[in-house]
Amino acid sequence: MSQPEEKNKSTVISVKKDLNTAIIDFLKEGIDKQVFDDVIIPMRVPAKDSFAYVLVRNKSILNDGFFLPPVMPVQGGRMVSSVTRLGKKDKKTAIIMRPCETRATIELAKLGQTNLDNLILISMDCPGVMPISDFLKDTNKQLKNFEDSANNLDDKIMRPVCQICDKSSMISGDLHIGTLGAKKGSFYLISNSEKGNELIEKMGLKQNENINSWKEKVKKISEEKKKKRINKNKELKKKIGGLDNLTDAFGKCINCHNCMSVCPVCFCRLCYFESDKVKQPSDDYLSRAKSKGSIRFLPDTMLFHIGRMEHMSLSCVSCGACEDVCPVDIPIAQIFTMIADETQGLFDYVSGRSLDEPIPFVAYKEEELTDMEDSND
Amino acid sequence: MTKALVINNNYEKGLIDFLKNLLENGKVKGVFSLKKINKEGDVTFSLISKPEDLDDAVPFYPIMPVNAGSLMSRFTMKQPATESIIAVLKPCEIRAFVELIKREQGSLENITILSFTCGGVYTHRMVADDLITKNLSKYWDAVKSEKILDDLRPACRSCDEFIPYNSDITVDLIGNKDIDKQLTMILNTEKGGNLVKDIKGKNVEKNLNDKKLENFKDKREKEKKKLFDEIDPKIKGLDNLIDTFGKCISCHACGRVCPICYCTVCEFESPDAEYKPSNFETELNKRGALRVPPGTIYFHLGRLDHIAISCVGCGACEDVCPVDIPLSIIFKKIGESVQKMFDYVPGKNTDEELPLSTFEKEELVEYEE
Repeated sequence: MSQPEEKNKSTVISVKKDLNTAIIDFLKEGIDKQVFDDVIIPMRVPAKDSFAYVLVRNKSILNDGFFLPPVMPVQGGRMVSSVTRLGKKDKKTAIIMRPCETRATIELAKLGQTNLDNLILISMDCPGVMPISDFLKDTNKQLKNFEDSANNLDDKIMRPVCQICDKSSMISGDLHIGTLGAKKGSFYLISNSEKGNELIEKMGLKQNENINSWKEKVKKISEEKKKKRINKNKELKKKIGGLDNLTDAFGKCINCHNCMSVCPVCFCRLCYFESDKVKQPSDDYLSRAKSKGSIRFLPDTMLFHIGRMEHMSLSCVSCGACEDVCPVDIPIAQIFTMIADETQGLFDYVSGRSLDEPIPFVAYKEEELTDMEDSND
Repeated sequence: MTKALVINNNYEKGLIDFLKNLLENGKVKGVFSLKKINKEGDVTFSLISKPEDLDDAVPFYPIMPVNAGSLMSRFTMKQPATESIIAVLKPCEIRAFVELIKREQGSLENITILSFTCGGVYTHRMVADDLITKNLSKYWDAVKSEKILDDLRPACRSCDEFIPYNSDITVDLIGNKDIDKQLTMILNTEKGGNLVKDIKGKNVEKNLNDKKLENFKDKREKEKKKLFDEIDPKIKGLDNLIDTFGKCISCHACGRVCPICYCTVCEFESPDAEYKPSNFETELNKRGALRVPPGTIYFHLGRLDHIAISCVGCGACEDVCPVDIPLSIIFKKIGESVQKMFDYVPGKNTDEELPLSTFEKEELVEYEE
């Protein structure tokens, strides 16, 4: 778990009315003091039945900010990429997201899909998000339900992968809003980078305040979740281990590839598995059917999922976006989390943890994975 | 009257036996049908070559994992079938396939199409909840008695194109009380007739039961009117559109599963649709704020523009929408009004050209100044 280095600054911000208003006021002040020019924050959509990220420069619109919404309609990493993929943002933008969204953003920056120049990434302690289908059943009731659960640190109603998220307070961006362990009527603003330090300085905030109570609380929660995660991964591995079980787990898949569409780190404009490469002449399909008796059509269902796994498991942030959109309820985020924990563990890599850690696929080390080498040599 | 073959066997068992016979006698080399693929009973579209594998086929299973029109396109787009194939398709799947062929995305060569009067399909939600098997008898009772079930896809509940076009053989299901003991295959074409030549059964002259189908169509049309009336205020004017599409998460699953949306890279996922940093500046200066990623409604309007003329109303889009936007009814309503303008029924006639690629000197004069 990455913790802010000592040289980085932390401060305590007081909350007069509520956390949401305090953050809005903080952002307004930031614009006033020209620390940044605009912000990207979640807001309710006009019909009030969901939430969306909005890029805001007009301060009066900021009043509609809604931080930590109960659902994650678009993964923030994907959203930031849509803003900066074709070039760095012209003016300075502060972006408030959940930790797994910030991590996806860092990962996409490493993959050359996001330009971090002029962006200030701010994360928040995250209680998880609800599956969007649950939320939509009764938006008002579920919002209340979510808020109660979040206040009580109860994750029962959250996405299955949120229930086993041990990185819900991980700081990988420039700043972090820490609510855990904070005294009533206040929150921590914790810097994790030069950009973060600069912001605290420019805003004229008190520096180097003690954040030990936040650290302790975060440590306790993430250790508990980690334990739960290891157990859940084990259970799942038992259930879907082996080719037959794995194939059955994907038996209902309708090849919509929506898991890939919403995945923040599946950034390819044209997925290999939708490209011309996988389209065969009819004879090929027929000869496969003849040799096996019958084939599922399209025949490449497992190839797609295993291929996607191979392409992105090192960068998977376990956000659960994939599972949220699967029309046939395949526990896809749980499966990918289990695999990602193993592949990332192999390289001591945590997706999106730090901009300084290269993605293992692009880092060459002479001595690596020696245990996988042929023992006869 | 049309030639027909009546086989004294259950509609499903009878059809499987018929298909087996075709494979055994080498009349076809492959059968496309829905089939159970594992011990869990999951059903997917399959290409079957060994007769015994047909034991797990469920050709009339009331689900549509994928609109098989797009799968037939995948099968034939690189190379038309080189050997004889029979495909069991739902009416809207044939129509989608025909529309794709018009767009040079497939071929009917060497393919015999077997279809049926279609009672509609259950939703993916019910598949996910393992509710299909439990609801089979209810489904077939409704088909026999021309009833419309509430838990079908909304697109199916309101579908009035349940009699297939372009099928070589049509199995008579809707309103047919005898399906448990009799399989009735109407032989619409010579191709269809040739396939059944050596099959044991009663050769008769027969049409579909027009009266019962009319009755069924009335019910479907009533349902359609109801759904169209409900959707109307939700899509009139920009404000209502924003409310209806506001919860869209831009996953584009609707486009991905749409059989007509065949582009390898969608325009709206291409660099053309992406905002440059300067575009964001322009919008911010003009409006003070904008939703990101941008272009949520633009995508849907663009897709409508691209596919409305060919929308077959299969409901695949709505069934995958993670936020339950009533896409299929919106697209169907607008699709039908565009199609009406050109007197065009998508997938009805293989020889009829797409209105968008046909030039007529005198056309839509009422829109002229």
